[in-house]
Amino acid sequence: MIALPRSNTPGLHPELVIKIIGLGGAGANALDRIQLDGFDGAELIAMNTDSQSLAGSVAPVKVQLGRQTTRGLGTGGDPELGYAAAEEACDEVRSAIDGASLVFVCVGLGGGSGSGAAPLVANYARQQGALVVAFVTLPFTFEGRRRLAQAEEALASLRQQADVVICFENDKMGDAVSPRAGIQEAFAAADHTISQSVRAVAAILQRRGLIHAGLDEITTILRAQNARCLFGVGEADGDNRAHAALERALRNPLMDRGRLLSDVSQLLVHVAGGPTMTLNEVTLLMEELNRHISDTTRLLFSTAVDPRLGNKMSVTILSSLAAGAAEAAPAPVARVVPAPAPIPVPAPVSAPVSVAAPPVIEPPLIQAEEPAPAPMVRRVRTAPAPIRPAPAPIPVEPEPEPEIIAPAAALVRPAPIITAPVPVPVPVAPAPAPAPAPTVAPVPEPADEGKVAAKGPKTAAAATGKPRTAREEKQEQMQFEPVNRGRFEKSEPTIVDGQDLDIPAFMRMNVRVK
Amino acid sequence: MPQDDFIVGLEIGTSKVCAVVAEGRPDGTIKINGVGQAPSRGVRKGEIVDFETAGKCVREALADAEEKSDVMIGSVYLCVSGGHIESFNNRGSVNIPEEREEICEDDFEDVQAAAREVSIPAPNQFLHSILQHYYVDGQDGVLNPIGMMGRTLEADFHIIHGVGTRIKNSIRCVKELDIEVEDVVFGPLASAQVVLDVNQKNLGALVVDMGAGTTGYVVYADGAVKHSGCLGVGGDHITNDISLGLRIPMARAEKLKLEEGAVRLGRAVPGERIVLKDETGFAGKEIEREMLNTIIHCRVRETFELVKKRLDASGASMDFLGAGVQLTGGCSMLSGVDDLAQEIFGLPVHVTCVKGTMSGPTSAFENPQYSSAIGLVKYAQAMTAGVRRPGFFRRIARRLPFFNNLL
Repeated sequence: MIALPRSNTPGLHPELVIKIIGLGGAGANALDRIQLDGFDGAELIAMNTDSQSLAGSVAPVKVQLGRQTTRGLGTGGDPELGYAAAEEACDEVRSAIDGASLVFVCVGLGGGSGSGAAPLVANYARQQGALVVAFVTLPFTFEGRRRLAQAEEALASLRQQADVVICFENDKMGDAVSPRAGIQEAFAAADHTISQSVRAVAAILQRRGLIHAGLDEITTILRAQNARCLFGVGEADGDNRAHAALERALRNPLMDRGRLLSDVSQLLVHVAGGPTMTLNEVTLLMEELNRHISDTTRLLFSTAVDPRLGNKMSVTILSSLAAGAAEAAPAPVARVVPAPAPIPVPAPVSAPVSVAAPPVIEPPLIQAEEPAPAPMVRRVRTAPAPIRPAPAPIPVEPEPEPEIIAPAAALVRPAPIITAPVPVPVPVAPAPAPAPAPTVAPVPEPADEGKVAAKGPKTAAAATGKPRTAREEKQEQMQFEPVNRGRFEKSEPTIVDGQDLDIPAFMRMNVRVK
Repeated sequence: MPQDDFIVGLEIGTSKVCAVVAEGRPDGTIKINGVGQAPSRGVRKGEIVDFETAGKCVREALADAEEKSDVMIGSVYLCVSGGHIESFNNRGSVNIPEEREEICEDDFEDVQAAAREVSIPAPNQFLHSILQHYYVDGQDGVLNPIGMMGRTLEADFHIIHGVGTRIKNSIRCVKELDIEVEDVVFGPLASAQVVLDVNQKNLGALVVDMGAGTTGYVVYADGAVKHSGCLGVGGDHITNDISLGLRIPMARAEKLKLEEGAVRLGRAVPGERIVLKDETGFAGKEIEREMLNTIIHCRVRETFELVKKRLDASGASMDFLGAGVQLTGGCSMLSGVDDLAQEIFGLPVHVTCVKGTMSGPTSAFENPQYSSAIGLVKYAQAMTAGVRRPGFFRRIARRLPFFNNLL
């Protein structure tokens, strides 16, 4: 006779072991929030260099990084130190992660522990065969450029290590709370959003739904030639829960009230509810959502009944936005990086082995001018992300513009080792490298480009795999005029068939007006 | 003291608040006593966004109407609009009890209730359910089933619904002024009452009411409403497009649209320029006429195309609209709008305003801007007539106590 084992939580994916790591101070806060909001079915692990902060964490498992390196103090904002600390605690980290099939890494970038250790921890997790989803926050602008540059640097290397990176900008998170709200509330909002996202992604994966969505779907959605992530979660109960849940999901700081949805090419929608959820409710909800998206959008729909939700209904919307389209929206968006294809991850740091960089980026850049670049030196630099305040033609002060990265550090280390200050080419002409061949990164970015604008063309070029010349880039950027809705800027959007009708018709029809 | 025999139609529009005071005569004609209006503020896309300011504008318009008509206003019929208003057709069916074979008034109520037993989004409320046709035991085309023998009575209804709170907001805005709201009517439906006569309704017609904030449409065929809806796009959008496209202020753009705007393309002399006169001492600006017209054209074309798309999707056949397309509302005054509509809808197009038996200041009913406000009066007259008159009016279903549910 065959005995059918029954899992004790019906409807849930049994073998999925989830571990959530909160890294650094911000990570710990997010973790606390996740714990407070209630999340079972996952193990929470706090990792930090600062033993005091670690002691204050509610996480059941704690790993102190860098017992020797920092002696229980923080890193003082030095990612190098954070990296060394994580390296030192290698075994502890590994044993903490051991056995997980899915690892969430929550980290606030910009500081020392988080920025330094995150790529390494993600690396360990991948080596153990876990899928790694990173939720990161970027610092507030007022925290200074240096910090932002550090964060971007860390983000770039994290992107190579994690399967999916969902990135929240603190500046945008602030928009979600009222200006008069206490600062605590503002920070709490950021933590809350992360907590919600973690739970939502976990829930999608855990619930064995009527129509199931798995990690493959999530990665499909986020991997596609796109650069930005739209993410919204909403839960509601009561008579009108379908409508209210969707409303809340669209009101998420990353959604811009659904305006951005019209531009997406694919969309994952996960609808979950208690046993009382009716087909009619799902239909109404989907009808309403369909109004926001265009006819050509590929919709991945999944639904599940989860008794734990009780009378509530929850909607999760996950999507990524084509790079160019994002320009149109001055909205808070998170960035998602197409994860590199699973590649054997190199053993720790010492060996200068090549690390996955999205291959698409590679050809154009190599083609750019240089005879024979040492590939891995370039790779790190050109990973789809590192956007920073554009370098001035002559780098006077080397650290914010670490153009050259030593091969070894290139792998995982966010803090670059600078070998020589090299003039960065001026925006338009990708001049032949004046210095030793493989050193200059031809990333001409006009200084006034916003982050967003700089990002667009890059990834667009990457997506099409076309060689990207400076001229081409310039052309593309010209299209990205910020879209203005004039007097309708603040009013409720009128979206019909995925078109935002408040944007002037001639603009959408591409009629030139002068 | 409010006089009871006067009917007041009030439209809180996006560009203007307009109150029409009229007298319904027993012979079905209407005499307009006065039209009061005030520029509207606090209304966007047909919906109130600034309650207090909108309230002031309503007060102004009503005071103006009282002054002009010398009538004290105690209650109004209110017109609502907005992109949230939707519609669908549904069939209700009731079985006549065994013990009686004759269909009576009560069955009519039941069949209407049955038709409303559909799921609409929870925040929405029914605004109208308009009778289309009866079927008695499957027999088609029954005009009046009361008194007929039958086992089942079925009826097709056209049901219009919208977000309850937004409709309530309009009502409250009026109630704050201590004025009763007799009924709320969907704007384009009110317009259709005056721009179409009974004959046209029977022939079939599409009424497009393009106002400042919204573009509403109603399709009549065989004397009954087949389809209706509303887009949150209107003349304001045209102005906004001009303002953004030509980089001039909104007020200037509005003036330019009214004075120089046209929908036709290719009619301007190549390179013809319009000089904007300066008002504040700054140098005037020159604008190419063709550019201005292109911007307007794009928006109007898109709006009509969206309406067409919706009509096609609803299955309402455009081929049977013998009376063509009737354009009304402020935007219908744009030059060349009829040609464009003709091109898109493929039907003869007329720019119309109030028709039929009206008397009073001609300036009121010869302006398409007032179609819906006057339409309210006509609607009210039909509703309160008490007697079921042949033709269309019998077909408007008596309304469920929608309004009582509201407040």
